[in-house]
Amino acid sequence: MLILPDNPKLIGQGITGSEGSKALETMLSYGTKVVGGVTPGKGGTDVLGVPVFNSVKELSEKFGEIDATVIYVPPLFVKAAAVEALEAGIKFLLIFTEKVPTSDSAYIYALAQEKGANIIGPSSVGLINPAKKLKIGSIGGADPDRVFKEGNICIISKSGGMSSEIGLHLRNNGLGVSYALGIGGDRIAGTDFADFLMAVEDDPNTQASVIFGELGGTYEERVAEMVKAGKIKKPIVAFIAGEFTMTLPSEVQFGHAGAIIEGERGKPDHKRMVLKESGVLVVEDFDQIAGLLKKALQFKI
Amino acid sequence: MILFEFEGKKLLADAGIKVPASQLFNQSSELRALQYPVVLKAQVLSGKRADAGGIVVCDEISNFKFQISNLLGKIINKEKVEKVLVEEKVEIEKEYYLSLSYDTDSRSPILTFSEAGGTGIEEKEVQVYPVDPLSLKCAVAHPNDITEIVNKLVKLFFEQDMLLLEINPLVKTKDGWIALDAKIKLDDTAIGRHEAWKDYPPRSVAGYTPTKNEIEAKKIDENDYRGVAGSTYFDFDGDIAILASGGGASITAMDALLNAGGKPANFTEYSGNPPREKVEKLTKIVLDKPNLNGLWIVGALANFTDIYETLSGIIDALKKIEPNPKYPIVIRRAGPRDDEAFEMLKKVKEFDLHLYGEDTSIPASAEIIVKLAKEYAEKLGGNG
Repeated sequence: MLILPDNPKLIGQGITGSEGSKALETMLSYGTKVVGGVTPGKGGTDVLGVPVFNSVKELSEKFGEIDATVIYVPPLFVKAAAVEALEAGIKFLLIFTEKVPTSDSAYIYALAQEKGANIIGPSSVGLINPAKKLKIGSIGGADPDRVFKEGNICIISKSGGMSSEIGLHLRNNGLGVSYALGIGGDRIAGTDFADFLMAVEDDPNTQASVIFGELGGTYEERVAEMVKAGKIKKPIVAFIAGEFTMTLPSEVQFGHAGAIIEGERGKPDHKRMVLKESGVLVVEDFDQIAGLLKKALQFKI
Repeated sequence: MILFEFEGKKLLADAGIKVPASQLFNQSSELRALQYPVVLKAQVLSGKRADAGGIVVCDEISNFKFQISNLLGKIINKEKVEKVLVEEKVEIEKEYYLSLSYDTDSRSPILTFSEAGGTGIEEKEVQVYPVDPLSLKCAVAHPNDITEIVNKLVKLFFEQDMLLLEINPLVKTKDGWIALDAKIKLDDTAIGRHEAWKDYPPRSVAGYTPTKNEIEAKKIDENDYRGVAGSTYFDFDGDIAILASGGGASITAMDALLNAGGKPANFTEYSGNPPREKVEKLTKIVLDKPNLNGLWIVGALANFTDIYETLSGIIDALKKIEPNPKYPIVIRRAGPRDDEAFEMLKKVKEFDLHLYGEDTSIPASAEIIVKLAKEYAEKLGGNG
């Protein structure tokens, strides 16, 4: 389940580190409850009042079934941390860590499929739901209210910065969000746009979605497929960045690991074309997103 | 990182996969211990080198020195040939194509195979097989004696953290399977667990010669793993220098600048909360060129990058550049510690700073820098 139950039992792996403890602080101050943390060797201590355990197993012996974990361990330790969480039966993992080797991501994704679990990330800035005061990860920074107002738009972005930028743009135009999340810009995305769009089809608080896509991969193309197949019916506004990269040599990676044109694959103009054909509203100018959303919502009513 | 053929073949040989007997040349000299006929192969990163004269067959000793000195130093697809791999020519029974890579459709590794190897593989019929990253199993059934080499290649692909392992052609001979070529791309994020990779000399992308700034910018991250600054850097012909933040925001900003009619002098980005010193280094590189008419410092509302520290790094660099930049500098930033950052910037009087926060969108700030840079250029032109 990508949509967590209310007041989920949430834990953090690697939340005693510098980025992790900063994120934990912002989650707690937003009103999200974190029952425990896991850092091998730091069991018995606590961080910001959250008890820390040596292993996920040790933690679940105390608290019972865990709904979700957020992972902040260094890149080369992510695989072990994710495997530990999956083996312990956790069904929702959000991986914040960037620069995770692709072979590890592929392994984690395959194991999650086998276990019926969901992965968001790697390289996910986090997920936020203002109505539920749920914030998993660094999304929105220390003051999420500055960016994400409660509302009925779902934001799904390959870029952490742009998820906030879209939240801000919506807020400045009188709109708010049901969910906002970063899916990361890696080659292997545990959850892609279509996965989450399909999940919010049944969410009564989501009326429309905005996706921020960019060059590379085929996750934007899959949205078009799922819209055509009738599996996604709610309106979507898409902004696809990276037009300028078409003039550069291919095989160059732009910031995110998956932002790369390989042969004919991954070109932003192709993504725009197939999204448009499927009925997704594609904006050329970032500042037009809110206007188009409003139109789509009116049309629907 | 893309490996040269000779580097890739060494990995294959070490993994027990047969490659032709060979000798590597970086200058013209005698051929030792190989049987004629031999094949001379220019070591460049780009594909299609055969069409560009990068592969030459040599039948006899009298031609060898002439042919190798012809190939060394030649420019093939914009790359200079520094090394030539000389291999014994192999008696081929049949050519195949085989590659391992990651596929975003299945979000897993895949093996691509074709009965028709050789050039122009893009147009030929291929079979795609999933590879299970948990068991390393891949069910290629034909030809029936291929299982052993497939198993070795899959194991190598994972152990060496490859993003691409392409053998074209993989050939069948009377002595078994031989890899006649190797195109390997390593996953840079895994360098921390591959000590041996540090011995590979630096390189650019295929068919492209990097500029001095591009080489210098890459070094910033190689020497400091905190955050990212300069790993992606490109020089352009325009007059507006760019310091963008964030993978997604930086490309959004570039598109916006071009839409607004601006001409970028570079593309680069820093993100993931890099320390002040790294941003200072990147700023010096970005501004190290003549004829700039503006600097645009732009990013999305940051989630966790410290705006005070990163903008302080930019100011540190500006103060050290001689002569001090006079062109307009448009800053559009928001996020952690932005209030402190803007307080600090307001006290900086020696530069023409234009400060914008979250109320001005990325496209709106693109319009502003384009207009100011144009005015600056016109003023200069008018005076001079």
